[in-house]
Amino acid sequence: MYRNDMTRKEIQRAFAERSAADERLLRSLQNCDRRHFLRTSLKFAGMAAAASLVPFHGFQLVNVAHAATTEGGDPDVAFRFAYVSDSHLYARGMTHRFARAAAKAVEDMNALDPQPDFVLFGGDLAQLGRPDELALGQQILKELKAPVRMMVGEHDWYLDLGEKWKEMFGPDHYSFDHKGIHFVVLNSVVEKDFWTAKGYTPEQRMAIVAGLDDGRQSSFEVGEAQREWLRQDLAKVNKKTPLIVFSHSPLYKLYKPWNFWTDDAEQVQALLKPFATVSVIHGHTHQLLTNRIGNIQFHGMLSTAWPWPYAPQGLPSYTVQMLRADPFNQFDGCGDGSVDVLVKGRVDKHYNPWSRNPREVTAQQLAAKSLPGGGYQGPSY
Amino acid sequence: MKAILVCGSLLLGAVALGILATASGGASDAERARRSLVGAQHEWASRAVWACDQRKLVVVEGVRPDEKIPPERAQLVADVLTDLMRFCNEEITARIATNQAISVAANGRVYENYVVGGPLPIVKASFGEPTQREQQIWKAELDKLVAEGDRLFHSDELGSNGIACAMCHPNASNTHPETYPKFQTQLKKVALLRDMVNWCILNPLEGKELAHDDARMKALEAYILAQRRGKALDAGKH
Amino acid sequence: MAVFERRQRVGLAALAAVSALAALALAASAQTLDLPVPSGVLPPEIPADNPPTPGKVELGKKLYFDTRLSTDGSVGCVTCHDPRHGFVDGRDKATSAGVGGALGTRNAPTVLNAAFLASQFWDGRAATLEEQAVQPLVNPIEHGFADQAAVLAKLKTLGDYPPLFRTAFGSEEISTLRVGQAIASFERTLLSLDAPIDRFLAGDAGAISASAQRGWALFNGKARCNTCHGRIDVIPLFTDDLFHNIGVGVKHIDFDKVARKAAAAVAAGASVDQLALSNAEASELGRFLVTRESKDLGAFKTPQLRNLALTAPYMHDGSEATLRAVIEFYDRGGNDNPYLDGGMRPLGLTEQERADLVALMETFTSSDLARFAELEKLVPK
Repeated sequence: MYRNDMTRKEIQRAFAERSAADERLLRSLQNCDRRHFLRTSLKFAGMAAAASLVPFHGFQLVNVAHAATTEGGDPDVAFRFAYVSDSHLYARGMTHRFARAAAKAVEDMNALDPQPDFVLFGGDLAQLGRPDELALGQQILKELKAPVRMMVGEHDWYLDLGEKWKEMFGPDHYSFDHKGIHFVVLNSVVEKDFWTAKGYTPEQRMAIVAGLDDGRQSSFEVGEAQREWLRQDLAKVNKKTPLIVFSHSPLYKLYKPWNFWTDDAEQVQALLKPFATVSVIHGHTHQLLTNRIGNIQFHGMLSTAWPWPYAPQGLPSYTVQMLRADPFNQFDGCGDGSVDVLVKGRVDKHYNPWSRNPREVTAQQLAAKSLPGGGYQGPSY
Repeated sequence: MKAILVCGSLLLGAVALGILATASGGASDAERARRSLVGAQHEWASRAVWACDQRKLVVVEGVRPDEKIPPERAQLVADVLTDLMRFCNEEITARIATNQAISVAANGRVYENYVVGGPLPIVKASFGEPTQREQQIWKAELDKLVAEGDRLFHSDELGSNGIACAMCHPNASNTHPETYPKFQTQLKKVALLRDMVNWCILNPLEGKELAHDDARMKALEAYILAQRRGKALDAGKH
Repeated sequence: MAVFERRQRVGLAALAAVSALAALALAASAQTLDLPVPSGVLPPEIPADNPPTPGKVELGKKLYFDTRLSTDGSVGCVTCHDPRHGFVDGRDKATSAGVGGALGTRNAPTVLNAAFLASQFWDGRAATLEEQAVQPLVNPIEHGFADQAAVLAKLKTLGDYPPLFRTAFGSEEISTLRVGQAIASFERTLLSLDAPIDRFLAGDAGAISASAQRGWALFNGKARCNTCHGRIDVIPLFTDDLFHNIGVGVKHIDFDKVARKAAAAVAAGASVDQLALSNAEASELGRFLVTRESKDLGAFKTPQLRNLALTAPYMHDGSEATLRAVIEFYDRGGNDNPYLDGGMRPLGLTEQERADLVALMETFTSSDLARFAELEKLVPK
């Protein structure tokens, strides 16, 4: 009903028409009997129209152009997958707010109708890499109805350098094909050894890595070995096949002090460059984050546990920032989401931020760099 | 008998003197005016006010030690003290007479007719500037407090649920201490930085609030403020 | 030269005097009334086109208490907003009943101090008292009229109104706008901000009991009330004028399912009306039906807390009968649902703490309600 290219006046008119059609609904606001049709002097259309036609951060009406369910919905959408990411679980039982939040995300996933083809777990299942934390995470994710694809984050890895993770969830990097898309899952949080020379214990190493602003750790990288694996894996794939890459850290250089960073990003991007359509879905940043470099589109996933502030420098201009979270609300700034994979292989990213209106960032917007509201350059805090 | 006579005559004498004294319209109008200004009993009273360095002293004549200095004279006291502070490390005593004339005593000499801001023949001490050693000591002390704050800020010991301040505020970002005091919507009143620190400890961290003068609160504030060096003060900015 | 005879002169003088008095009276009734707002408190916002005058207040008062303004003559504003019961419904049920005893789904809020609020109704759909006052008139289960025209038709048959309209508005025209403006003007005089808690906060330590003082510390601390119900000095109403989902009515319906369907419909750009909600379902979606934003699903207005002890029962559906029950509701963390406000969480209050909070809320009752004693006499038998 709403198109991206509509003028504000056209949107207002369309909204007013829809409001008129909704009058039958208005009576429910007055607790009245179904059979009576209510005529009031309320200025409903005007009020709703004035309230938030292009909501400050909802952008809901304008964005609605592409949103659709897959079945019988927008013919552009080939299939959909969903994600839960960065749960950072402590093994302190299900009453701990991180555990409750992870369970809340699982409920959201299970309520999706139709169900997504699979659910990606975006990394940082545990907070301190402990077996009991990983086990709690596995237990929570077991409740998912859809099949799960796991990806590792640094909080899962640096207690025992991935031993437990691989035992529980399989290899840390792998690829698979699904409905004509080639998916690659990377371990992009490899760090050069910073612990041996200093004699850090595994717990100390994990605690250092767990500190986002802890400068004692090394920068993330994919690393030479994995890049070689990737080169060989991609050699078998037709360049016209759309690629979707899952990586914990963003595969570009955003803000080094917080490891919103991949040291060998250029080399990895060079491996991806020959492909016609590449999308990267990443975690780690706990915020709404969008970028585009050449033919690659990058989308961040929300965390279920807590939001990070935006980096003081280097924010990509494609990102329409979310407003900072209210610390009173333990779910604000957190959430989950889904990704529509379009028939041409590009993706539309859906954010489901709890306590806020849903947001989406579409492939078309990125291609044209026509972000809703002209791209809100909010406070970089 | 004799004693009574003596006392009696003394009393008579005192009364006579008293009558004489009150009857002595011999006091000039100016004199009477001055007396009525400070009150006959206050002639020789004075009140001393020390500066914060405990080296500058202002003596205000005509005010009892337990009496509040009237506003104009108090302002003059403050102006004198502030002005004398330019002579760091010197011990100086200023005396403000009842007619507001000021005399200054320093180095064993007395200088009359001092005017606030005016020149005084006192050489400024050259050892007012901090030495290298002093600066080193001061910095080390500050760094120690900031480091302790850094440790607390990143630890999970302030709360009960494993959450650290640094999780939502890496490098103390988004703390904006330079914008306090401001109306803090979560508290529904105007708050200082430490009020918000305490609120965060109580709510997202599910811990116990700290007393405002708790050493840990000071350390946390020191760390947060150190991260925001150079930011302009902007109280009330949201 | 005409010289008036003495008798005529007296007559003329008398006439002049009477006219002058009448003019004065008219002027007085048109003079803007000063509302009884204590110093330091922001006055209520008054629409520019409806400054309060004694004439409007008189008319509004009469309309307010007039049960002839209903289809069966039994319902007036006073019926559900009774001055003998803190200006809420004094009858036994959780929600109010209208014409023919028809029960609704809402717990009538108090009119006392409603002038200060940013919006009216539990879902905030009326921005002003003027807008609110006329809606119940055309609600089939409240005053029962089919539409505003029917209300005006009934009003015009009541002979005692035209002179009051003339005094209030300068002409005898009877319109919906004027009805709303008059009732709103009357309601704007129903302000009462002098309670023990106010005196305590102004420095009178003996104004409230030790238990209530502990309750105040809890209110601002462990019980986490103040972020939504905080008392701001310049607007001491104990409300943030916002809307929150605390899960009050989610058990009446399959809220999870209905809410998620509504959210999906909005995301897809479909009309909410297509959901074919039942009365009960629509009733529990709250603010969402006004804004159509999914973050408002199940959200209701934070009510003001003044005179709480007089306005039982509590919550938008009257489901909590006592203050004690309300505290226990919050202690549990409300009722979980996908849109539960993240500020809700179990509080872990002790028995003493709960009692202290109840004691505190009893100190919110105004000490000057005797001012409204004469209004109680206007309540029809």
